[in-house]
Amino acid sequence: MEHTIFNVIFVERWQWWAGGIALGLTVPLFYLFFNTALGVSTGYGNLVKIALHPKKLRWFNSEKFSDVWNWRFFFMAGIITGGFLSSILSGEFSLKFFMDEFTGFIQMPFTVSFFYMFFGGLLLGLGSRIAGGCTSGHSIHGISQLHFPSIIITIFFILFGAAGANIVRLIFTGRGI
Amino acid sequence: MNLQKAAFLLMGVYFGFVLCRTGVSDFRLIYGFFTGINFTLAGVMGVAIATAFAGMRILKVKNKTLQGEPLKIDYKGLHRLSLLGAAIFGLGWGMTGSCPGTVLVQLGEGKIPALFTFAGLGTGTWLYAFLLEKRK
Repeated sequence: MEHTIFNVIFVERWQWWAGGIALGLTVPLFYLFFNTALGVSTGYGNLVKIALHPKKLRWFNSEKFSDVWNWRFFFMAGIITGGFLSSILSGEFSLKFFMDEFTGFIQMPFTVSFFYMFFGGLLLGLGSRIAGGCTSGHSIHGISQLHFPSIIITIFFILFGAAGANIVRLIFTGRGI
Repeated sequence: MNLQKAAFLLMGVYFGFVLCRTGVSDFRLIYGFFTGINFTLAGVMGVAIATAFAGMRILKVKNKTLQGEPLKIDYKGLHRLSLLGAAIFGLGWGMTGSCPGTVLVQLGEGKIPALFTFAGLGTGTWLYAFLLEKRK
């Protein structure tokens, strides 16, 4: 492939350091423009409130969710759009029903993989709320501000991430670490 | 839609675009990191943290946003169950190879299985609110 500017930006995968710089810039840009900390996971509360109107659960009545169409909703909508634009421009976009991308390393029946992804997602949602943030809020924003809780929490994210991935590999492939 | 929300939408497009181009929305990259095959993720995160640190240092010199307000730095504290939450999150991260941000990118890329991770994330968030209600 020719290394035209278009190809380097839109088609080829970015170098890790270039991606890291572009990603890290979001933290100061968020403060410069909006005086807000970068974070994604709280926005799932907006989505649940929009979809289910859970009136009996007081957490959804907290001030955080007084406007469910606030910036978090638009930021999340933007992320989906960004992934879509990126894969359209690189020519990689297609509806992928196959689990290959996700479970190429782990052999599991097609239908099982859907329950598997749902359960994994549930752990992500529950865990990020209890921990007070996710990989963006704690691991990028928090650590960059040298916040001790975010550092400890990220170490736990990684330790248990490695445990999770290796337990799954052991169960589905019989291969240990 | 006001200007600020449009700006957040654009910021999201940028964030999602970068995540996709860097390859962190690819399951194989996350799985490779956790199983010791490929450490690209560590490199991306390390540089992102260093860039955010440097950018914030520069911003803190004047300590002003574009609107001229002083910066309100968010601080997320530790409480009794934080590390339990982090462990639960970690297991989900290792299982799905996705985090709350990259799931959205995967949806944009047309990865159907991400719909289930996405539904799980919503359910987990609801479950948190539900358990909180039961504890009170």
